[in-house]
Amino acid sequence: MATRDSMIQVTDLKKHYNMGAIKALDGITVDICQGDVIAVIGPSGSGKSTFLRSLNLLEEPTSGSIIFNGIDITKKKYKDAQGKTQKLNIDHLREKMGMVFQHFNLFPHMTILDNMVLAPMKVKGLSREEAEKKALELLDRVGLKDRADAYPIQLSGGQKQRVAIVRALAMEPEVMLFDEPTSALDPEMVGEVLDVMKELAHEGMTMVVVTHEMGFAREVGNRVLFMADGKLLEQGTPQEVFEHPQNPRLKDFLAKVL
Amino acid sequence: MDQFLQIENFGRIAPYAELFWQGTLVTVLLAVFTVMIGFCLALILALMRMSNLRPFRSLELDASGHVRQGGVLPVLSRFNPLSFIATAYVEILRSTPVIVQVFIIYYGVFSLIELPGFRMFGFIRFDRFFPGVVALGMNSGAYLCEIIRAGIQSIDGGQTEAARSLGLSQKQNLRYIILPQAIKNILPAIANEFVVIIKESAITYTIGVQDIMSAVNAVRGATFVIIEPLLVATAIYFCLCFPTSKIIAYFERRMSRGDKR
Repeated sequence: MATRDSMIQVTDLKKHYNMGAIKALDGITVDICQGDVIAVIGPSGSGKSTFLRSLNLLEEPTSGSIIFNGIDITKKKYKDAQGKTQKLNIDHLREKMGMVFQHFNLFPHMTILDNMVLAPMKVKGLSREEAEKKALELLDRVGLKDRADAYPIQLSGGQKQRVAIVRALAMEPEVMLFDEPTSALDPEMVGEVLDVMKELAHEGMTMVVVTHEMGFAREVGNRVLFMADGKLLEQGTPQEVFEHPQNPRLKDFLAKVL
Repeated sequence: MDQFLQIENFGRIAPYAELFWQGTLVTVLLAVFTVMIGFCLALILALMRMSNLRPFRSLELDASGHVRQGGVLPVLSRFNPLSFIATAYVEILRSTPVIVQVFIIYYGVFSLIELPGFRMFGFIRFDRFFPGVVALGMNSGAYLCEIIRAGIQSIDGGQTEAARSLGLSQKQNLRYIILPQAIKNILPAIANEFVVIIKESAITYTIGVQDIMSAVNAVRGATFVIIEPLLVATAIYFCLCFPTSKIIAYFERRMSRGDKR
């Protein structure tokens, strides 16, 4: 693992609310490497989602650092290669980090195709033809090419989430963040979404997945992080975490969910 | 004169029908221009209230570039003069009577500004009509500002998060994601404001705008009948407002049906 390039280095990340009365994140240190598929598990309220959302600054951390592509993105300014102070452009960073939400967050006033081409056209400056070609390819991959002209409301939950995944992929991100992508789905639709994510993992995409699907964490993840009370209590391979848990909180958690 | 109303009195006010017709036209024009001015003003005010202009922004960062926690400096760094001005405007206009605002505009502001004395359509006195529109428009702008702001804030926060996570800037998010959805929510409220203004514009007869109420007054002065012209005014206001609000309700239903498609 040490031979692979480190992509995101998180050091002592803290997120406090109410002047430190609530510690949503209490000193998280973790290294995310190219090609990692990291499953983040833990009881609800443990800070999993806050951690994930901090990675692309949807939550602004209180302290600590997140080094992404060599830049500490928790600071609003950085020094470039020439040593000049630059203002951090958060939009450029988010472009490289795709995010998938629990509630899909498709744009309801646009067709599926328009949902997919908006960011590539407006942010990357692709022409409509290029963007649509790309979008249709991606939709084809998840079996939804024939729904390109439908509106989000006409799709099932599983279909919406598959669209949300390829919408993020259309920006060709370097890393994909998943915030409980199957938690809002009916049980019979969980499989179709997990299949898309598995495929993505096998293609070598770097992924951070907050999930309650222990089967997925065990099968697809190459590392599992266990969080509770804003702290990273245990991390390791799925085998280490699931077969030989060390921390009593983890043992307790696994006893409840497995 | 014991009776509440006498049918033959309608015959006495019939010769003044022309006044009521002109008054109706003035009232409708007043409402149309007021909502137009009010909407433009409200859009500016809403953007000011939601703007992110912070002249003391640099105070929130500590030496290492992190956002400071607690203390006076972060509070000061969040001060937004544009938002402050817009908020003050909205709160003052919403907390004072319309008639006071109309008088201040007419007797105060427009006593300093000479308006041309021409007549629109040959009978609407511009030097009365214009101050009336300005005063009502300023008042309506304050209310519409809150409608627009509420419409924008009613859009689920997940939409913004999704847009920003795709790399869209704050402006692009507003333009492509938030406003198209918000306007659909806002339009019925703006149409309702139009109905409110039709009724509220009656106040401008106090500064000599020749609307429906001023027709009532003129007829009363000439014939000493009061109840019957008031009933005519009631009928006209009702015929303007009731169908309009029904039409709005119809479109509102149709639009919300689109949501559940």
